[in-house]
Amino acid sequence: MISLFYLFLLPLVALSSAIPATSDYHESLTLQPLPQSALLASFNFRSNASEESFDERNFRYFPRALGQILQHAHTKELHLRFTTGRWDDQSWGSRPWDGTKEGVTGVELWAWIDASDDEEASAKWITLTQSLSGLFCASINFIDSTRTTRPVASFQPTGDHSISNNLHLLHGTLPGEVVCTENLTPFLKLLPCKGKAGVASLLDGHKLFDASWQSMSVDFRPVCPHPDECVVQIEQTVDIVLDIDRSKRPRDNPIPRPVPNDQLVCDTSKAYHSDQTCYPLEKTKEKGWSLSEVFGRSVSGACPLGNDQNSHDETVCLRVPHEREVSISLGALEIKKPDGVSRCYELQPFRDFDLVIPEQDATTQVPLEEPVLRAERTIVGHGQERGGMRIIFDNPSDTNAADFIYFETLPWFLRPYVHTLQATVTGRDGVRQQVPASQFIKETYYRPAVDRERGTQLELALSIPAASTVTLTYDFEKAVLRYTEYPPDANRGFNVAPAVIKVNGRDAANGRSHPIYIRTTSLLLPLPTPDFSMPYNVIILTSTVIALAFGSIFNLLVRRFVTVEEAEALGAQTIKGRLAGKVVALRDRLKGKTSKVE
Amino acid sequence: MPIGPPFTPDYRKGQLTAIRKLRKNPRVLFVRLPYILSLVCIVAGIAWLLLLPLDEYSRRTYISENALLPGQVHAYFSGSEQHVFRGYKQELEGLIPGEDQEKGVSKADAQFTSEVSNKVQSILSAAGLKVATQAYEYTSSGITHQGENTYAIIRAPRGDATEAIVLVAAWRTADDELNLNGVTLALTLARYFKRWSLWSKDIIFLFPPDSKTGTQAWIDAYHDMQPASVQPLPLKSGALQGGVAMEYPFDHRFESLHISYDGVNGQLPNLDLFNTAVSIASGQMGIGANLQEMWNHNDSYEMRLQTMLRGMVKQGFGYATGAHSSFMPYHIDAITLKTKGEGWQDEMALGRTVEGLCRSLNNLLEHLHQSFFFYLLMQTNRFVSIGTYLPSAMLIAGNFTIMAIALWMRTGFDMDTQSGPTAVSTSAPKEKTSSSSEARSSKEKESATPSPEPSGIMERQLALPLTLVGGLHLLGLVPLYVFNNLSYKVSPIPQVQQLNSMTFLSISNKQQHYTMATYICIAANAILPTLLAAVLSSLGFTTPKPQQYLLIKSFSLLLLGLFLSTLATLNFSLSFMIGLLCAPLTFVSRLNPQTTSVGLRYALSTIGLLVLNLLSPPVVLLGLCWYTGVSVEHVLTQAAFGWDVWGMWTQVVVWCVWWPAWISGCALLGFSLF
Repeated sequence: MISLFYLFLLPLVALSSAIPATSDYHESLTLQPLPQSALLASFNFRSNASEESFDERNFRYFPRALGQILQHAHTKELHLRFTTGRWDDQSWGSRPWDGTKEGVTGVELWAWIDASDDEEASAKWITLTQSLSGLFCASINFIDSTRTTRPVASFQPTGDHSISNNLHLLHGTLPGEVVCTENLTPFLKLLPCKGKAGVASLLDGHKLFDASWQSMSVDFRPVCPHPDECVVQIEQTVDIVLDIDRSKRPRDNPIPRPVPNDQLVCDTSKAYHSDQTCYPLEKTKEKGWSLSEVFGRSVSGACPLGNDQNSHDETVCLRVPHEREVSISLGALEIKKPDGVSRCYELQPFRDFDLVIPEQDATTQVPLEEPVLRAERTIVGHGQERGGMRIIFDNPSDTNAADFIYFETLPWFLRPYVHTLQATVTGRDGVRQQVPASQFIKETYYRPAVDRERGTQLELALSIPAASTVTLTYDFEKAVLRYTEYPPDANRGFNVAPAVIKVNGRDAANGRSHPIYIRTTSLLLPLPTPDFSMPYNVIILTSTVIALAFGSIFNLLVRRFVTVEEAEALGAQTIKGRLAGKVVALRDRLKGKTSKVE
Repeated sequence: MPIGPPFTPDYRKGQLTAIRKLRKNPRVLFVRLPYILSLVCIVAGIAWLLLLPLDEYSRRTYISENALLPGQVHAYFSGSEQHVFRGYKQELEGLIPGEDQEKGVSKADAQFTSEVSNKVQSILSAAGLKVATQAYEYTSSGITHQGENTYAIIRAPRGDATEAIVLVAAWRTADDELNLNGVTLALTLARYFKRWSLWSKDIIFLFPPDSKTGTQAWIDAYHDMQPASVQPLPLKSGALQGGVAMEYPFDHRFESLHISYDGVNGQLPNLDLFNTAVSIASGQMGIGANLQEMWNHNDSYEMRLQTMLRGMVKQGFGYATGAHSSFMPYHIDAITLKTKGEGWQDEMALGRTVEGLCRSLNNLLEHLHQSFFFYLLMQTNRFVSIGTYLPSAMLIAGNFTIMAIALWMRTGFDMDTQSGPTAVSTSAPKEKTSSSSEARSSKEKESATPSPEPSGIMERQLALPLTLVGGLHLLGLVPLYVFNNLSYKVSPIPQVQQLNSMTFLSISNKQQHYTMATYICIAANAILPTLLAAVLSSLGFTTPKPQQYLLIKSFSLLLLGLFLSTLATLNFSLSFMIGLLCAPLTFVSRLNPQTTSVGLRYALSTIGLLVLNLLSPPVVLLGLCWYTGVSVEHVLTQAAFGWDVWGMWTQVVVWCVWWPAWISGCALLGFSLF
C-alpha cells in the first residue's frame, strides 16, 4: 500500500521532469502511523539542473559541493545510503520506497563511473570515496579494494545514460559505521533551504537519532525526458520510524521512569485487581500526537525556493483513515485523497505548520502491505576456526514463486566453502527436506577472495517456490590475521556486510516489473584473537633471557677463574700487584693495624 | 643410605667419595631419589593448595573491563512496576493447580504447562516483544526429557542485531523448585526494558521449563548445533555477549543473593561478570552476595579454604550447576542469581540488580575478555588466578612423570652387573631369601638379561608393556559405554518422566540397574588385575621379565602424568582430584620375589591390593554417595545425562585416564602373588 502511495507521487515526478532544462525543487513529507505506536516519516527532497548548466558548473538548486565531486570523479550516477536500525517487517509491513531508498546498516555506496578501463574506474572510485568522506563526515574513505565489489546483476542504473559512456559499477559498504548528527548536518546543507524552512526544518538530530529505524539517501542520476534534453536530478530522502511514546517524552526528562500508580492502565475486570495489584492493559486507543510533539518543532512554512509560485504542491501527506480527526494550523489547505486512507496538505511559505491528531478509539487501520520476501542471515556454529552461514528465505505468498537476486560480499578473512552450499526446504506443514541447492539456484556469479586484496563476491539468482521456506547453509573458515591487522576492539568481532536481495516485484496495476530491495542484518564474526599483551610479554622475556645469557657468557669469556691462592700468587708477581700490596700495608699501618689477621 | 655429605672438616673429600659411590652404584639415583622426589612433589602440591587462601597468595577481585561500569547507573525499576509484578504473578498463579492434599498435588510441583506458556507468550507479545517457542526432547538412560522453551526478544531500538544479552528465568530452578517469582520478575522486566531506548544490544528473555535441559536445547539451536530431536529456533538475534539467570523460588522476602558460576566441564565465566554482579548486588543495592552455598562466610582461613574446595569439587565433577551452565561451552559468560534466606529485600531489589547487570553488559564494546577465565574464588571479593594455583596440580601430575622417566632410565641400565656385590650388600635385610626363590630369581635374572652388554646398557623389551598399557586404556571404553548407555528403567514400559529429577530419589521399587552395575564393576575391579597377573604369569611366553614390570609402570605413569598435566590447564580441579587419588600408584610396584620372602610378599601385596581397591573409581563413587547421602543411581543417571545432553567429559577422564592407571597399578601388585 505504501508503494501504491508512492506510485501516486509518480505523476508529480513525471510532471516535473516533463518541464525540461529548467531547474526546480520539490520536497514532500509523508507521515504514516504504524502499529505499536510507531510513526513512519518519509522526507523527500528532489531538485533538477539542466545538463548544460551542470556541465558549466552553473548551480542553482543542485548542491555545488556534491556536483564538483561528481564531475571530478566522472561519476554519472551515484547512490549513497546511511542507515541505522532494523525495519521490522512483521509489525510494519513492507519497506518504504520498496527498499530502494535504504542501504545496509551503516553506509552503502554504489556509483556508475565513466572510465576507459577497470583500473581507471578504481582510481576514480577512490577519489570519489575520499571526497565523499570529507563531504559527509563519514569514514567512506575506508571503502578500499577489500570492501569494493562490482555487482553483476543486483543493481541496474536508474538514470538515462548515453551509450557513449563506458560505465563501471562499483559498490562498497561500511557495515560498522555509526550514523549520527555529523552526517545529518552536511546532508541538510545540500538542500536549497538547508533545513531552515520547509519540511526539512523538522529534521532535528535529537529526534532523528532517537528513531527506531532511519535511512538517509542521496541519489544522483541523469534523466532524459527527451533524447536531446537531459537534466541531472538529485534526490535526497530521509525515512525514519519514530516511537511516538519515546519522542513525546520531554527533552529535559527523557527517562522512562515507572509511571505513577494512578496513571497505570489496569485491567479492572481481573478478580485480583486492587490498588496494589495491576494487570496492565495495552491501549486499544490510537495514540494522539502532533508534529511539534514528535519532532520537537513544527514545520516552519514551505521552502520558498521550491515549486513555482503558481503551482500547488502537496507537501505534507498523512496516511490515516478519513474518519480520523486531524487538526492543522491555519493557512494550510487539506486535500483528501479518493483512496480513503490518505490526505495531503499544502503549506504556505513563512507560516508555521503543525498537525495534531488527538487520541481516538481505533476504528479502521490503514492496511499494511505484506512483504514479498523475508530473509534472515545468521552465523552458526562456534569455535575459533570454522563457522557456518545460514540464510533463510521465507516466501509468504501462497501463489507466486519469489524470483530474486541474492548478493553478498564477504570479507577476505571469512573463507567460504561454496561446495558445502546446501538447501533445505520447509513447507507450510513444517516438514523439512534436504534438497540439492541447484533446485533453487538458477544462476551463480562467484568471485573468490584474494587475501588482503578483495573480498568474496557471491551473486545467486534464486527462485523460492510459493508458501515455503528455504534455508541455505554453507561452511566457512576463519583466517588468522596478522597481529597489526586487528582493530583496537578486536574482541568485539568483525563486521560482515549484510546481503542485498533484489526481488523482481510486479505492479498489479500495469504489470511492469520494478525492483524491490531487501537487506538482511549485518553480522558479527568473532575471529581468533591473540592476547595483545603477549608481544609485550615476549619482549620482556626474551630481553631477560638474552641479558642473562649474554651476561654469563660474557663473564665466562673475559674472566679467568682462579683459586684464592693462585690469585695471591699471580698478584704478587706483577708490579701493579706488588705496589697494591705495599699500599695496603701502608694503609693498614696508618690505621694502626700492626698485624694482619690470617 | 645417606646421600648428603658427612659434615666433617674435610667435607670436600667426603663429597668426592659420595659422588664416586653414586657413580659406582646408581641405585640411589634411580631407585630411591625418584620416590623421594615424587613424594616431595605430592606434598608440595597439597601444601601449595593449602597456602592459596592466605592473603599473600590470593588477590582481591577487581573489574578489568572499564566499559562495564558496575553500579554507576541509577536503577529505576520500582514504584508501579511492583503492581504490575503482582498482577502478572496473580495471572500465572491462576494457571497453577492449587494445593490438593488428597491427590498429593502441591503447588511447588507445578509444571510449565502449555497454558502457562501461552500466558507468558501473550504477556510478552502484549509488551511488544517478538515471541517464539522451541520444542525439544532428549533421551538419556531410557528417560525422555521433553519440554518447550518460550523466549522473546527486545530488539535494540537502533541496534543492528549483531549482539545480544540473555536473561533466563527457568520455570523450575536448578534445585527443582518452582521459580514463580523469577519468571514473573522476568516478565515485568521485559515490559519495563521495552520502554528504554538505550539498549545497544538485543535482550533475549528465555523461559525454559527447567534448568537442566531447556537452556541447553536453546543454546545448541541458537548455534545450529542441535541434535535432531531439538527444533531449530524460528527467531534469532546476534552474538550473545552474556547471560544472567534469575531464581527466586519462594514467596517471602530474601536476605542475600547466591551467585553460581560453574559451567559444564568446569568452565567458568569471565571473572568480570561475577565481579560486576557482586559489585552491583553488594555495592550498589546493599544485598549480600554469597557463593558456593557458604552462608556464613567470616573471611577466615578455614572459610576461604572451604569455599575454594567446594568450588573445586563442583568444577571437578563438571556438571551443570544451573541454567547458566549450558552457555559456557559456547564462550558465553553467564551466571545465576538466586535469592536466599529471609530478610527484607523484595523482588524489586532483585529486579534492580538484574537491571544494573543488564546496563553494565549493555555498555560492553567487546566480548568479555579482559579478566580471568581460570580462577578459584574463595570469597566474593577474593580469588587466585591460574598462574598461582596451577603449580599445585602440575606438581601432582609431575610426580607421575618423574617416576615414569626414572623408571624408563632405570630399565636401560643393568644395575646388577655393574654394581655387583655392592648392590647385594645394600639390600642386606632382604638377603634372607629362601633357596627356592633364589634359584628362581637367578633363573629369572638369566632370562631377564639375555645379553648384558659390558657397559651395563640393557635393551628394553617394549612389546608386552606397550600392549598391556594400551589395551587397558582401550578397555576403559567398555565401562564408559556401559555406564553412559544403561537404561534407568522405572517400569517395563519406558515412562516419560516430566523433567523431574527429584522423583528419581523417591522411587524405590524399580530395577536398580545403576547400583547393580556399580557393584559388578567393583567386583570386576577386584578380580581383573589379579586375573590379568595370573594369566600373564601362567602362560609361559607372556610371563613378563623384571624389566617389563618396570616398563609397564613407567608407561602407565607416563600416560597418567601426561593426561593430568594437560587436564590441569583445562580443568584444574579434576586433574588435582584424580592426581591425589592416583598418588599411591607411584609407590606401588611388583614386589621382587628375589628380595622379599614369600610370606611378606603375599601379605604386603594382599594389603596393597585391598588398599588400592578402596581407591578404585566405583568404590570412591560409592564412598562419596554414602558421604553426601545421594543415591548412586541418581549420580550415575545425572552423569549419563551430562554425557548425553551437556557434553560432560568427566566420565571419560575417569574411565580412560584414572581407571587404566589404577588397573595397571593393581596388576603390578597382583604379579607379586605369582
